Amino acid sequence: MKFSVEKTFPMPGSSEAAWALLQNVEDVAGCMPGATITERVDDSHYKGTVSVKLGPASLVFKGDIEVAGIDAATRTLHLVGKGADATGTSGASMDLLASVQSGDSPASCQLVGKSDVSVSGKAATFGGRMMGSVTEQILQQFARNFAAEVARQAPAAPAQEAGEKPAPPPAKGRELNAFALFWAVVRDWFRHLFGRRGSA
Amino acid sequence: MGLEPNLERLTQLEGIGCARKRREDPRFIQGRGTYVDDVKMPGMCFGAMVRSPYASARIRKIDASRALALPGVIAVITAEELKPFKLHWMPTLAGDVQAVLADGRVSFQNQEVAFVIAENRYIAADGADLVEVEYEELPAVVDPRKALEPDAPVVREDLAGKTDGAHGARRHHNHIFTWEVGDKDKTARAFEQAEVTVTQDMLYPRVHPCPLETCGCVASFDKVKGDLTVYITSQAPHVVRTVVGLLSSVPESKIRIISPDIGGGFGNKVGVYPGYVCAIASSIVLGRPVKWIESRSENLTTTAFARDYWMTGELAATRDGVIKALRVKVVADHGAFDACADPSKWPAGMFHVCTGSYAIPNAFVSVDGVYTNKFPGGVAYRCSFRVTEAVYLIERMIDVLAQKLGMDKAEIRLRNFIRKEQFPYQTPLGLEYDSGNYETALRKVMDAVDYAGLRAEQAARRADPGAEWLMGIGVTTFTEIVGAGPSKMCDILGVGMFDSCEIRVHPDGSAIARMGTITQGQGHQTTYAQIIASEAGIPASVIQVEEGDTATAPYGLGTYGSRSTPVGGAATARCARKIREKARLIAAHLLEVSPDDLEFDLDRFVVKGAPGQAKTMKEIAWAAYNNVPSGLEMGLEAVDYYDPPNFTFPFGAYLCVLDINRYTGETKVRRFYALDDCGTRINPMIIEGQIHGGLTEGFAVAMGQQLPYDEQGNVLGGTLLDYFVPTAVETPVWETDYTVTPSPHHPIGAKGVAESPHVGSIPCFSSAVTDAFAHLGVTHMDMPHNAYRIWRQSHALGLDRR
Repeated sequence: MKFSVEKTFPMPGSSEAAWALLQNVEDVAGCMPGATITERVDDSHYKGTVSVKLGPASLVFKGDIEVAGIDAATRTLHLVGKGADATGTSGASMDLLASVQSGDSPASCQLVGKSDVSVSGKAATFGGRMMGSVTEQILQQFARNFAAEVARQAPAAPAQEAGEKPAPPPAKGRELNAFALFWAVVRDWFRHLFGRRGSA
Repeated sequence: MGLEPNLERLTQLEGIGCARKRREDPRFIQGRGTYVDDVKMPGMCFGAMVRSPYASARIRKIDASRALALPGVIAVITAEELKPFKLHWMPTLAGDVQAVLADGRVSFQNQEVAFVIAENRYIAADGADLVEVEYEELPAVVDPRKALEPDAPVVREDLAGKTDGAHGARRHHNHIFTWEVGDKDKTARAFEQAEVTVTQDMLYPRVHPCPLETCGCVASFDKVKGDLTVYITSQAPHVVRTVVGLLSSVPESKIRIISPDIGGGFGNKVGVYPGYVCAIASSIVLGRPVKWIESRSENLTTTAFARDYWMTGELAATRDGVIKALRVKVVADHGAFDACADPSKWPAGMFHVCTGSYAIPNAFVSVDGVYTNKFPGGVAYRCSFRVTEAVYLIERMIDVLAQKLGMDKAEIRLRNFIRKEQFPYQTPLGLEYDSGNYETALRKVMDAVDYAGLRAEQAARRADPGAEWLMGIGVTTFTEIVGAGPSKMCDILGVGMFDSCEIRVHPDGSAIARMGTITQGQGHQTTYAQIIASEAGIPASVIQVEEGDTATAPYGLGTYGSRSTPVGGAATARCARKIREKARLIAAHLLEVSPDDLEFDLDRFVVKGAPGQAKTMKEIAWAAYNNVPSGLEMGLEAVDYYDPPNFTFPFGAYLCVLDINRYTGETKVRRFYALDDCGTRINPMIIEGQIHGGLTEGFAVAMGQQLPYDEQGNVLGGTLLDYFVPTAVETPVWETDYTVTPSPHHPIGAKGVAESPHVGSIPCFSSAVTDAFAHLGVTHMDMPHNAYRIWRQSHALGLDRR
């Protein structure tokens, strides 16, 4: 099962700060819910795990991450990840292009992500219909964590300009919150259902 | 013959024609059946399969250390462990080989990679999760037409350089065989000269019979005695014994295969699967019984699918609808290994019955078998070796032609039927139909449903632009081919497709009968006893019917393809006649008359012209053990091996009326009228039940079942969340009817019935659904006809706009 996701998240903080964070693969991984870098093979190769818990199913993907390219001129990071669930029932691969683009003001920017994801095995068979929704939720959590990390690493930036509450610290290395994720997926599904009817 | 039939004794006999209640039901409805998973043996351990998440991948490494460290895990076997026994690959029924456990490479998702044996089922499952397999994913191909493109991914690296398959030359790395039948040139000429031709592409999607009970076995090898006993979900236990003997080099005399109660087979339980082989091999090595039972998803995604036929049909006809020729091209998706359970010489099974019930003078069929990265198996699902596909094709094509000519769909059938007096009828594809009476059947159905009235109602509905519900009328008049088969044409692994029966009459007049077939819900214990009752005069109530144990039953090829009644039933009738004729000799001896002076009367022999002088079968049975004429063996036993001279050809006329909501695609089946002719009717109630079951499974296939794949080879229908199994809520009300046209070559004229309703109803639903849109130029809609797909058709035509 293959699908593509394209997302743009507004970031509180300068594009320099965001770009600095984006180049640090370990920190980026830390923002990914359930993800951990377990080993740094060399400058562009890492090993890591991603755990996802969905109801009774607990999947731990172990895999390799390769930094396929860092382009400072366009502030673009190219990551290629490939992994398999430790129980051997699912496989996943991802090709991610993430870039930092300037925002409306010097103190804000945008994180633009475009990724192609391919999923095999049980995750595709059982989770196929939830995949879009789950990915959406994971990415939103990621963006929140990333924004908080940008704000933390660059305290000078007026992160709370818009009157936002400080974001919670990133949920490093923990499993995705199963209940919250489940709730978000169900809510999304309902929205999708009624959204479609409304626009038809 | 001068004797009045005695109704009381006739009733007591419960013979052919009696709606006798099923003998099996008391134990089933009380939950007292014994299925394979009910078998518990001392010291039994459990196996669980580690399966590939990828449709195509190289295996870099298998690390079982974590699994082996789990307390309770006894062993983990992979292809490496099976290699010394040469069991890592096994021959298939189609002349190919199949990996028992992946030999360095997987070719379909959920392919068997390792087998974990543990003290109990839960530990085995946990152990399977702990086996770490490193894969290198490779590109997969799931569309059989793309599989034949020059640069398509190679499904079977082990066949590299092999230009010859079991059925002739291979012309591409994913090509298995090309099978052609009929006169190509003559057919081409008929098309060139035709006044009208039609062409239609259609896909018969991959489906699965999804029996209530999944596949499984318990293998137990006694190291001291050297005996192997296997309880197995098999529709062909004797064939399994032969295969196990070939694979294990244990002599067949030391192998006992037992198919206990089987919870539905429908062709899913014909093959020999890697799980069985692993369980048997483990038991031989460990000396302990090993049980392996499939999960529902394993069943739906690894063992014997059905169909996956990509067909193109063409008809040539005159302007007034007389068919002159049929041409068919098929791309058959066999999955990653050719494990189709067809008779050896027939790689497309009985697909050549595709000229149907019609007198078509010219025909040519070409089938290309293709490997893809999908699971192997095939020819399952209540269908005698691709008959379902054949009937679907011809019935759809007749409709397409009718629409092209503007003819009524019943009328065009009446115009082209093989007439009653033309039987036995030679088809252009080499079959000899034994008997039929198609016109009578269709006219009976048309009268019963007021066909003209329905068409008038439909015309009025079509003329009303405000009508929310579209009306479709489907008609099919199918011919089945069952009872495989004559050994000169049909064999499996070189064993002719005969079947057998052995009857022993005990001194008290009761009897035990054993057959080479095996019931999986068909009610053999009921109906076989009825045949014996009528033929040998022993009340069905005192006849014990046993099947499925190779240690006791005579060799037979099993139950699939509706072959039990045509082949096993024939053996039973002939065996009972042997009993009767020996009884006649004993009766003559007891009555001191010549055997020729005796007349058989239900359950006794009567001296002709002296109705007072008679011996009952009960009396004769007693005498058989103490007072037989000199020169005659004691006892009253017989055995019969029946090699049928031909197939049998049941037929039927079905009509479906349904209404489709043009805004939502919702379908309501208003009427389904099914007339079946299966020749002599042994038990009308069992026939009715079989027809209800077959129609319901036909409804399931036509309206919702499918095992779709995505491009990476993930199977997307592998759970009951996705795979449609109708309940009483969705299932329409069935109306059944019958005619009786006995088979002239079968000892009691019976033809077999269980598959007809499946084979016949599926095109009938497609016919009705398409017919609802036919006035708008739609000639065919592929299955499954679920609401979404029907809505898409409605939407494409703009019918859903208010």
